Amino acid sequence: MPRRRGVKPFAGIRVADFSWVGVGPTVTKYLADHGAEVIRIESATYPEALRRAGPFVDDVPGLDRSGYYANFNSSKLGVSINLRHPKGQELARRLVAHCDVVAESFTPGTMAKFGLDYERLRQVRPDLVMISMPLFGQTGPWAHYQGYGHVLQAAAGFNHLTGWPDGPPIGTGVAYTDFLAPHFAAVALIAALDHRRRTGEGQYIDFSQFEASLHGLWTAILDWTVNGREQIRLGNRDLDAAPHGCYRCKDGRYVVIACETEEHWERFRAALGRPEWCDLERMRRKQSRLQEQKEIDRHIGWWCEQYTAKYVFDLMQRFGVPCGIVKTAEEMFRDPQLRHRRHYWFLEHPVMGRRSYDGPAFRLSLTPGELSKPAPCLGEDNERVFKGLLGLSDAEYEELLVEGVLE
Amino acid sequence: MTMPSESHPPVPLPHPDGPLAPYRVLDFSDVKGQLCGRLLAELGADVIKVEPRGGDPTRERGPFYRDQPGREHSLVWWALNAGKRSITLELRLEEGRELARRLAEHADIVIQTFQPGEARALGLDYATLARRNPGIVVVSITNFGLTGPYRAKEATDIVGSAMGGHMMLNGDPERGPVRTTVPQAYTQVNVQACVGALIALYGRWNNGGRGQLVDVSMQEAMANTMDNAQQIWDIRRVNPRGPGIRRNRDGVPGPRYLYEAADGWVACLAYGGLVGPTSEAIVAWLAEHGEAGALTTAAWRDRLRGAQPLTPEEGAYLEERLAAFCRRFPKEWLVAEAQRRGAGWAPVYSPREIVECEQLRAREYWVRVHHEDLGETFVYPGAPFRLSKTPWRQRGRAPRVGEHNHQVYGELLGLDAAALRRLRLRMVI
Repeated sequence: MPRRRGVKPFAGIRVADFSWVGVGPTVTKYLADHGAEVIRIESATYPEALRRAGPFVDDVPGLDRSGYYANFNSSKLGVSINLRHPKGQELARRLVAHCDVVAESFTPGTMAKFGLDYERLRQVRPDLVMISMPLFGQTGPWAHYQGYGHVLQAAAGFNHLTGWPDGPPIGTGVAYTDFLAPHFAAVALIAALDHRRRTGEGQYIDFSQFEASLHGLWTAILDWTVNGREQIRLGNRDLDAAPHGCYRCKDGRYVVIACETEEHWERFRAALGRPEWCDLERMRRKQSRLQEQKEIDRHIGWWCEQYTAKYVFDLMQRFGVPCGIVKTAEEMFRDPQLRHRRHYWFLEHPVMGRRSYDGPAFRLSLTPGELSKPAPCLGEDNERVFKGLLGLSDAEYEELLVEGVLE
Repeated sequence: MTMPSESHPPVPLPHPDGPLAPYRVLDFSDVKGQLCGRLLAELGADVIKVEPRGGDPTRERGPFYRDQPGREHSLVWWALNAGKRSITLELRLEEGRELARRLAEHADIVIQTFQPGEARALGLDYATLARRNPGIVVVSITNFGLTGPYRAKEATDIVGSAMGGHMMLNGDPERGPVRTTVPQAYTQVNVQACVGALIALYGRWNNGGRGQLVDVSMQEAMANTMDNAQQIWDIRRVNPRGPGIRRNRDGVPGPRYLYEAADGWVACLAYGGLVGPTSEAIVAWLAEHGEAGALTTAAWRDRLRGAQPLTPEEGAYLEERLAAFCRRFPKEWLVAEAQRRGAGWAPVYSPREIVECEQLRAREYWVRVHHEDLGETFVYPGAPFRLSKTPWRQRGRAPRVGEHNHQVYGELLGLDAAALRRLRLRMVI
């Protein structure tokens, strides 16, 4: 049913985005993909780390060739300013005067060093909403600590809770907190914008990636503070569900099967044709099945080896059993559901060609997200922003170029 | 001080300074949406959890307080529903569904996790609710989204992780894929739905107050946690897989990033900083403790500073040096000293160590939540973000089943005690 589209939610909002790597750019991507004008402020002398991280198109490195960078920066404009130059700092402040939001994720103190801390910026823009998003927040003994999401996930408990109980704390295979913290930051930022829209009042948000990520630990904190029990990694088992596991199939692919409820278990038994082991007394209730997971895994593992992953998936789902195929990146692009939902966006980039970008996990019926352009090349929009928005004359612009302020 | 009573329950604590204080949320969701609702409550919204008469099924999820199952004892319930009000409502009865629709007339956001098609059958879908309240934002959270060939498929957390492509990236080359034991597909879909809800809420300003449907997919939420794996396939045609204690680089296992300390594990990148701008400082550190081996030689210094990639033999030697060094010292010391030298190390923390962490203590992160019914106070995680003007606030324990029936039905629908009694007798609430 085709519907008339509404006005994009953040139309009229302009963002000065000083952030970098994963967390900050994911937050501002939400705004950009929903109508805000987001201006990434970068530098050639201190390039954004992800511009220097692969994969690069054709395996040839280059600041405008990274798929890693591109994915986080759809729908944004890009300018380049040398923030170590006093004139660069002045230029940045002039830009902020035209912006509603400032986002940054430097180590605490860096923005102040550039004269771009909240106290300074609110003087040029009193109703500014500013969010700082370093690893550990603005204060405390770890405030200055270095790191990326790959190591922050260790401090935040995700390594301790990912892996097998008899093996090392391997953690997720991704920079996990980079994919968890930004959603919390976006929630805080949009809530602050809503408050500003109602009252005209801006504010400052001190965001710690670490502190937000702990809200992804589910019951692990409370189980310690309430029960004195330390949860630990359980492989593919679950504290509260059985069967619950990941099994290799005949074709070498993996499936997962999970029975969280007795109803799931009944369906599972039916799907398997009610084999004898399922009827044993100790398999009747979840509480006792939780004690028999080794045996359950042995039976299911043996059974899965007889069939392809697709067969197991189709059969289990036909009986209403939660079951999935462990998909590779390649299979994700071919996944019929994701294709139907058009989850991935393919955008034509002037250097990189047609490349895939992650879209939001939600469809808004009135104002759907739109990845309106590919990631910017470094400094791509300098003229547009500095001449068009700030009104610099050609002569002023050239002077900044010559003095190395725009780099 | 007024005593708690049926019409004045002790929770949720008031939060008029929250940025979402003017808004009301009706939460019909299961574990895929309850954290979303909780975050809105902690930002000031009035969040009303709607439960079946016998209590929400989430209350049956362990672990439990002192391992004693009971509908007020589920830690999952506590963690996901603190700060909300609770009402009971029988959605299998038309009278109950009509009450739900009337409540939605007073709400800004409805969160639901009905199966695709189910909301429509109940008359609680966006189209029906928007006819009465055009400003309503309906957040529908499902396994695979409301549309598409998989829309009716069953899923739990591990299925979301597998079908969302994330799980393939976790694990070990020998043992295969592994799930994070604390459910991340549930977490991700909750927090990404919360972003979608607020975008739609903010969108009302630009659209004459009109709300909309927010159709959220758990599979897609997990697809958005694949780091750069999609780009690696798109550009390099490599399928990354779980690299165990290593880190993938361009989709294939690169250097090791986890090392065993004297009392646990530490995580670090780039051979602990032996390669890159911190190289000299880290080599000197190892040398102070007699563990630098050949790394102090001029030849090695060039290799560690240089831009040329290391050979596998060179990489193995660095890992060996680092492993021997780390084994001798406690992890807190290793991390503090590495950070002092500019290298981004972090400790592998357990839940207990997180609660004891000096950084969180210095920032007064933890909050104490009083459970007056148990006569105990417990430590809960604190502010996930610190807003200077409109702070986050933890609003007390999770509600008991139907704790706010009198308050909510009275305030919003004007039902008096006698009307509620009749509803109760008809098994509607």
